[in-house]
Amino acid sequence: MTALSARQPAKAGKGEEWLARRRWAKAGWLYLFMIVMSFFFLGPFLMGLLSSLKDNPNEYPPRLIIPQVTPEFIGKAYSLGVQGGGDGWNGGLKPGRSLTFDVTVAVPKDAPQTPPTIFLFPYQPTSLVALARQAQAKDYSTVKTEKTGETGDQRTYKVSIDYPALTQQTGEVVRAKLGVPTDKLTAILANGKAVDVTLDTPQAQAKQYDLNETQQVELIKSGEKYYLRGPVFERTPLEVDVERGQSIVASTLPPSDKQNFDRSFAYRNVTPGVLGYTFNNYRRAFNETTDPRSGISLFMRWVLNTFLYAFLRVVSAIVFCSLAGYALARLDFPGKNLIFLLGVLFVQMVPSQVNLVSNYVLLKQLGLLNLWGLWLNGLVAAGGVFLMKQFFEGMPKELEESASIDGAGPFTTFWKVMLPQAGPALIALSITQFQGAWNDFFWPLVLLRNQVNFVLTVGLSNFRSAYGGQGDYGLILAGAVLSAIPVIIVFVIFQRYFVDTGSDSAVKG
Amino acid sequence: MFKKNQSTATAYLFLAPFLISTLVFFVYAFGRAIYYSFTDFNLFNVPHLIGLKPYADVLNDVLFRRALANTLIFAVTVTTLQTILSLLMAVALNNKIRGMGFFRSAWYMPSITSSVVITLIFLWLFQRRGVANYVITQFQMYQPFILAFVGILVVAQIAQVLFERSRQLPAGWFDPALAAISALLAIAAIVVLSFTGVLQVREVPAFDFQYFADVWLSIGGVQVLSIPLLVIIIQNTFTTIPTLMLFFLAGLQNIPGSLYEAADIDGATPFEKLMNVTVPMLRPVTFYVITVGLIGTMQMFDQVAVIGDAAPQSTLITLAYYVYINTFKAGTAPVNMAAAGAIILAMIILVMVFIQRKFFPSEASV
Repeated sequence: MTALSARQPAKAGKGEEWLARRRWAKAGWLYLFMIVMSFFFLGPFLMGLLSSLKDNPNEYPPRLIIPQVTPEFIGKAYSLGVQGGGDGWNGGLKPGRSLTFDVTVAVPKDAPQTPPTIFLFPYQPTSLVALARQAQAKDYSTVKTEKTGETGDQRTYKVSIDYPALTQQTGEVVRAKLGVPTDKLTAILANGKAVDVTLDTPQAQAKQYDLNETQQVELIKSGEKYYLRGPVFERTPLEVDVERGQSIVASTLPPSDKQNFDRSFAYRNVTPGVLGYTFNNYRRAFNETTDPRSGISLFMRWVLNTFLYAFLRVVSAIVFCSLAGYALARLDFPGKNLIFLLGVLFVQMVPSQVNLVSNYVLLKQLGLLNLWGLWLNGLVAAGGVFLMKQFFEGMPKELEESASIDGAGPFTTFWKVMLPQAGPALIALSITQFQGAWNDFFWPLVLLRNQVNFVLTVGLSNFRSAYGGQGDYGLILAGAVLSAIPVIIVFVIFQRYFVDTGSDSAVKG
Repeated sequence: MFKKNQSTATAYLFLAPFLISTLVFFVYAFGRAIYYSFTDFNLFNVPHLIGLKPYADVLNDVLFRRALANTLIFAVTVTTLQTILSLLMAVALNNKIRGMGFFRSAWYMPSITSSVVITLIFLWLFQRRGVANYVITQFQMYQPFILAFVGILVVAQIAQVLFERSRQLPAGWFDPALAAISALLAIAAIVVLSFTGVLQVREVPAFDFQYFADVWLSIGGVQVLSIPLLVIIIQNTFTTIPTLMLFFLAGLQNIPGSLYEAADIDGATPFEKLMNVTVPMLRPVTFYVITVGLIGTMQMFDQVAVIGDAAPQSTLITLAYYVYINTFKAGTAPVNMAAAGAIILAMIILVMVFIQRKFFPSEASV
């Protein structure tokens, strides 16, 4: 009640003071409302963005503080990446390297005093396309656990993972990818050259049949011969099990998963590097959607397809919509009103589902069930024609008249006089078309029948169904964030144009 | 300006790409869809005319009727919600304050991202063990705090207003300055109460409602609205409010301030001003927004297609999705029924637009 008593010495300015106070309070409430609404509108995206970094986006209860963005753990992920793969960013486990990982276990007096069981476990990516079985770190490396300390009932253990090289040869280390399996082991070098791989030790010979095509390996180049040094692993998955009564209280990196009443801890990757730790789901989106036949990343293809489609749509809209819009706005010819009513207004009202069957059949007969058919199908957007018509109608007649006096024909007038004036409208048109193409879902879903041809929206929706309904939300959220970025960038740059052209997105389903 | 004949030729030359693509991909397609809707076409046979049978089949199809009901309920609910909410938000935003640019662009985010992305995020939020259920659990746990806060706020506000009025000051029941003090008081009281242990977090079991299941809200035994569709309604309202709000904002800028001053002189409350000045003046914009909303919502497809088999089909199916699944049904697809369904959908939309044009002013010029 201090505010009230402060006002007690009532003077002449009381009424004004009262009103001023009310204005301030009103502004305060308004800001509060706006901030709350900002959380409401941005919240789902922020939650999605944060959770896309998590190892397990489905964790319950959901936490806002996540280890993947904590400097401490990012630093540890970097150093583990350096130990395992010599690369703090990409991490991985390479032949001839070893690393250590610390685990602290609480062992109360009455609990069994046995040390934890620590071992590597296999990891197979389960993605859209079946990959060739990858070599597993557990088959190539040894795990040693030793107790390093005890304070109270807490014991610390040091886990050493050691991956010896398969050959003793020395020379230049080269990265390669294994080739098509024949009776001999071959590898394809970074420059595309295929070479024979020599297996000079019993260890190497014992492992040669475990290795599949496209497996990443390290070779030693010595003279003209290439010796197998060993496969390169992107991940080193580690599991720690303790007895009932014991519990894990700390480890170098926090676990990705807890099972068996919190007695089994799984670390999906103990050599992550920063990218493999903080941006694991993003890396997976690109790496684990690789088409085994062609070796290309499907997600990467979808991104490129979407950019290509959006680019084609924007270019054709700029050319054709402005031509048509100019003709409808400024030229006089029979049938003008009919064309406008039927071709522009009516077309926008009829749902695209009506044309689904016919256009699908037509494009199928033309052999165009791909990006080009998709582009052809939406070549000239009626909405774009409408926008350009409105714009040209608002331009002064004098421009054309003076051009006409100078002896310019209609095309020259359009090209040299009118189009250069249409900058803002063309930007607005490009943005709507870009956004429309980028977010387009119905026609791509209907027309694109091959995974390689998908655009992002269709590919992402496939992410959802490809995991037996359960949904690999790490991958889904990462893909969603990645696919939202380009439109957001365009939006941030061209904000004011969005305000004028919002009608398009209001109609989205 | 130009010679008549030459001008006509040029015009048609300019229009050629537009006309050709419209003729091929719209007029021809539209005609063929109408034709298919009277045949026995199934994507693999030579179509034969069989009259109105596909329409009868479609109207007798249980799934179609569900799709029709879902579509109409969805369209009406979303259009109503988004129109009212975006109008209210535009009114709130019509105050000139600093930082408006930031808020506008922040709020606009749901409108620019694709419906696929937003649907996937919503699917994730509304999982059985998802963020939505977590927030509800938290809300239940902290219910004593929330109720106490509201209660203290109301009591403090009433007390303050009565006190001010006793001193002959013109305090309204919702006076913002007094409300701010009441809110601070309520927060202080809550802090004290929770430290003394009077208020405690309630122990509640985790709320884990399954949103994408076969659960319906029914009236008199008739299944009206499914919970999955309700989630989509929330999502769609969420994504469309910002855009529609901008239309209303543009409309609000055109209302002369003198009207509000006159209302102030007559002693109108904010609510009266809204109903008697703002709403009538915004009529053209409102009708535009409703038309755009109806056309958009009647064609709802993306969300259903993305959710797909994650929810039972009948809970979410819309007319647009009905057309899609009938065209691509495994085996022989009843394409004739899909075409008939599409024509019916188009007719409904055209009738809606026609009624709107006929009975309401069409000076919508946004």
